[in-house]
Amino acid sequence: MAAADSPSATLQRRDLCSRGIRLAGKMRSDVIDLLDTYVERQGLDASASVAAVEGVPVAAAERWDEQTGTQRLLENLAAYRAFRALLAQMLEEQREQLGEADAVLGQALAAVLLQVSAFAYHLEELLRLESRGTPSEEGAGPPPPPHLGLFERKLRGLGVLRELAQWAVRSARDLRQLAKPSPASSLAPSPAESP
Amino acid sequence: DSHIQYERVGADVTMKCGSMDWDAAVTWTANGTDIDESHLNGSYLILKNVDLTQSGQYSCYEGSSWHLKYQTYLRVGTPPKEPVLMCRSNNYPKGFYCSWHLPTPTYIPNSFNISVIHGTKEMVCEKDVFPKNRCHIRYLQLFSTVKYKVTLTVTNALGKTSTTLTFDEFAIVKPDPPESVVAKPVPNNPRRLEVSWQNPSSWPDPESFPLKFFLRYRPLILDQWQHVELSDGTSHTITDAYAGKEYIIQVAAKDNDIGTWSDWSVAVHATPWTEEPKHLTTEAQVTETTSASTSSFMPPPTTKICDKGAVVGSGAVAVCWTAGLVLAAYGALFI
Repeated sequence: MAAADSPSATLQRRDLCSRGIRLAGKMRSDVIDLLDTYVERQGLDASASVAAVEGVPVAAAERWDEQTGTQRLLENLAAYRAFRALLAQMLEEQREQLGEADAVLGQALAAVLLQVSAFAYHLEELLRLESRGTPSEEGAGPPPPPHLGLFERKLRGLGVLRELAQWAVRSARDLRQLAKPSPASSLAPSPAESP
Repeated sequence: DSHIQYERVGADVTMKCGSMDWDAAVTWTANGTDIDESHLNGSYLILKNVDLTQSGQYSCYEGSSWHLKYQTYLRVGTPPKEPVLMCRSNNYPKGFYCSWHLPTPTYIPNSFNISVIHGTKEMVCEKDVFPKNRCHIRYLQLFSTVKYKVTLTVTNALGKTSTTLTFDEFAIVKPDPPESVVAKPVPNNPRRLEVSWQNPSSWPDPESFPLKFFLRYRPLILDQWQHVELSDGTSHTITDAYAGKEYIIQVAAKDNDIGTWSDWSVAVHATPWTEEPKHLTTEAQVTETTSASTSSFMPPPTTKICDKGAVVGSGAVAVCWTAGLVLAAYGALFI
């Protein structure tokens, strides 16, 4: 833990957190725009209720304020890796479905996918900084896409994007917690440090 | 034998004198005053098309003995109309509160039942002691996409009605306005005003959930506001104030990422610093107490005409009349 506690490591962590917060903010803003485009292009009702979608990481957290820094980073990383795969699938499906006809939606999806990948990488940097190995990506890739009809796929896409928008907000909050100088932000519980 | 009887406005009410026969001789009173026989049908009291003024205690006495045979308290009212319900989180991420009121009074007691459902989970909304028509709830989860559904049911003796509100966790987040807004002139700077404020005290964790702010200001003499949005910090210097003009300033707050803007803070007033007009002799008109003696040199607005040379509004708006008449005239030279 010595490396993690050094002043330069603290500064680096805070710097990475600030940049991460900005990335998350931009990502959220773009996801919200993408949601509008998606709903319009896919002919959906913006207020449609989507049941919990299998394989989509849920942003909702109980006892969020009690999480350690490590938990935050690991959960975020797992989520964005999953989103990276899900968005790639959506992009693929969208190209198959509409061909190159809908460049706008395709481009918007691709842009968000890029940001999600960048954010996942950013989280890996933060974990590396804390001398925590980044967990290997499990399995050979995303789970095979379920065999859904066109409409179900569209609703699933809506669910993915909505959950991603929530994650973007949560990630900014998680990084702010991490950036706090208090012991609560330490990445592992340190009984020796507790009062 | 005494009880309460609830009837709708406009209803026709028939009261029986307990177990007395229809043809018994009785006297009815309303709040101690005898009721005219024209309202009686035998021993029954008939009240047609009752109104609110007819609420009261009705008693029936046996004719000759004056034994009290029956007593009731008549309460005339209306069934409840659909209530107005609102929910808001001013203390995110701790929880939210819901408050309600009836659009029109019923004039009889009402009971309120509120249910909060999040997905499949029923949550308990704890009723506040004060105000009465309010309850609060703690978030068990954050960042959920599942909507909250709040149903309020109002019941009284004459009827029942309910209303439902459905919302996202983020949508109801609205902080209280910023507190302790202070606006001060800047010495030797006739076009500047320094504004500072504090996070609302109800916002529990501004470090993790920072607020951003919106400042608006205008000289009193103009209608158009200037706006500045500030993504951090709790102070701002206005640099384009009209010299010598009194300004009105307000601040609003919003969570950096979610929800809506707060209401505007209490307005504060301030006038930028002006140089002492050496050639003018005047008497200032003040509404605040002042310890300054009149002199041929009017003090700049930082002095004791207003408390501490600054105007503070967080519970009261203090309007300061500086040597305003003179300074305004002097200031007008710069416009």
